[in-house]
Amino acid sequence: MMRLAANAMTAALVLAIAGAALAAPFVPPAPPTQAAPATPSPRAIFKMALEAPRLIDYEGTKIITALRNGRMETVTVAESHKRPNLLRLEYLSPEDVAGRVIIDDGTTARHYEPALNMLFEDRSMQDPAAAASFTLLARNYDIVLLGTDEVIGRQAYVLSLTPHGTGVQRQLWVDRLTGTVLRSEDRDASRGLVLTTYFSRISFSLNLPEAYFRYRPPAGTRVVAMQTVAGGTMNPADLQQQVGFPVLVPPALPEGYTFRGGAVSRFGSLVSAYLRYSDGGNIISFFEAPAGSIGWPTLGVPVRVQSQPGRFIDLGYLRVLIWEQRGLRITAVGTAPSETLMLVAGQLIAGREQAMVTDVSRRAETDPETVRQLRSQGLTFPEIARTVAISRALGTSVETTVRFVHGTLSVTDLATQLRMQPDALRAAVRRAVDTASLTPALPASAPSGLPAGSAKP
Amino acid sequence: MNHHRAGRLLSAYVDSELTAAETRAVQEHLLDCADCRNAYENLRAMRELLAGLPPAEPPAEFWAGIRGPVLRARAAAAGAPEEGLRAAWAFARERLRSWVVVRRPGWALAAVLVVLALAALPLVKGTVDRLHATEIGVDLYVHDHALQMGSTPLVDRAYVGLVAGDAELVIAGETPRPAGDAAR
Repeated sequence: MMRLAANAMTAALVLAIAGAALAAPFVPPAPPTQAAPATPSPRAIFKMALEAPRLIDYEGTKIITALRNGRMETVTVAESHKRPNLLRLEYLSPEDVAGRVIIDDGTTARHYEPALNMLFEDRSMQDPAAAASFTLLARNYDIVLLGTDEVIGRQAYVLSLTPHGTGVQRQLWVDRLTGTVLRSEDRDASRGLVLTTYFSRISFSLNLPEAYFRYRPPAGTRVVAMQTVAGGTMNPADLQQQVGFPVLVPPALPEGYTFRGGAVSRFGSLVSAYLRYSDGGNIISFFEAPAGSIGWPTLGVPVRVQSQPGRFIDLGYLRVLIWEQRGLRITAVGTAPSETLMLVAGQLIAGREQAMVTDVSRRAETDPETVRQLRSQGLTFPEIARTVAISRALGTSVETTVRFVHGTLSVTDLATQLRMQPDALRAAVRRAVDTASLTPALPASAPSGLPAGSAKP
Repeated sequence: MNHHRAGRLLSAYVDSELTAAETRAVQEHLLDCADCRNAYENLRAMRELLAGLPPAEPPAEFWAGIRGPVLRARAAAAGAPEEGLRAAWAFARERLRSWVVVRRPGWALAAVLVVLALAALPLVKGTVDRLHATEIGVDLYVHDHALQMGSTPLVDRAYVGLVAGDAELVIAGETPRPAGDAAR
């Protein structure tokens, strides 16, 4: 009896407190007494955006407007993300993509096309190593905080990423609270805005069920395996052994672009060597296949590359240049301007490999075999000259210096290894690069963006 | 190679009767000429049609005409079996040839076409593969490039999915989506 009375009193007390709380007018919390936190640095904001997918769940509607085959196309997609790497994309419009579903679990991406009742299984669109590209991006881009802005009622930092060389310039609207990119704009130097994305609606911390990120296709679905690329980190020498035909390495590329890996691309009887170069924010891909295994596409316009026939295809956001040399059909894909792609192709066609090996080894005062070995690792001639100069100045091994030049070893990490201050290391690298004569004998019409003795580590 | 010459050589090309240089020239022309590709496909289809004809039983007198002389030759050549068999085989071969060529020219043609088809199979397959690679090559490369864009920090994955998904449809043999919705 006593226990019942005590329980009743407790319940009455809880109800009374709850009632009082509900009846009481809302009192805004007092403003913090300490000073407002300082605005984080642009790099800190960028890193916050990189970290966000690991920490935040969201679900929203995104609008994408992209240049495609000479026209702007608007696509609406329902995008859901569950940390750390579950992604569900359901395309809503236009009609020809409506119903397309892509589910990516960080390992495999499954793309279901309802009109065809087909399911494409592919490797993930998400690369866990993407964050590691930050070192390269930070080296090759000016990251500037333009201010703050409001996107769908949320405060966002506006970051600008401008490449030192050539390529697409980006602006990102990063949510102040979560780090999620709420809006982005990609601009091309010659054509202006080529891609915009923004959330028209977004909700956070929904605790989305994992089942939402599994897809069970309807009965009778035809499943197509699309794992076309294998062995993503091979160097050109290993790649050559895999494909069984010579793999050509570009002699020079726009400033900042460095070798990021090679792979074999296979589909049916078409086997291609795939080399990719990146400046951290943009990629140029080279696909090389025996000329006899693939003909000329009907798309695009015919062009001449160093008097050789070629074909240029402007897809909008991406550009494609195809040409033939030494029995190979080479295809370059990227966001780089068409003139840059043409120039890179021209240098490859010039085929002055042996002369440039001799020239660079003389200028860098190293033996030709070292130059050849570095070429087989995918380095361009300016990168080789830079690697030799830095290795000599810092006393680091060639392997370590290559990692540093490739951007897989940051200034901070190398400085720690050498027990130096990062600023002192930067200065030493700058001196080494400036004092050496690093301009290899490239064709006179080299693009302005090509490295010419000025490294920005 | 011009269109008319390629057209004249097409039948010989299907029958694998051309020199290596002519074969290469016709292949190059096929990649660029839709009309000749159609003609080539028609020739190939006709050959397959002939190859698919059902086997027919030879008439009863055919075997009777062969078996008798063979047995007689075998009996006569008891002391020299090799000579006897050779004679019997020569006789049978001669009868078979005259029967097939004279009385069943359709069979003879079909047999020749089947043999030619088998001989030309690797060549035809290589050409078809090449034509297919030509159709999908650019989309295959764009697909692989788009997926690599995922290694770029903060790239928009919904856009990557759109580009890669469109390319996958073309690779699977579907018609590409039409261009965007507003002229730039």
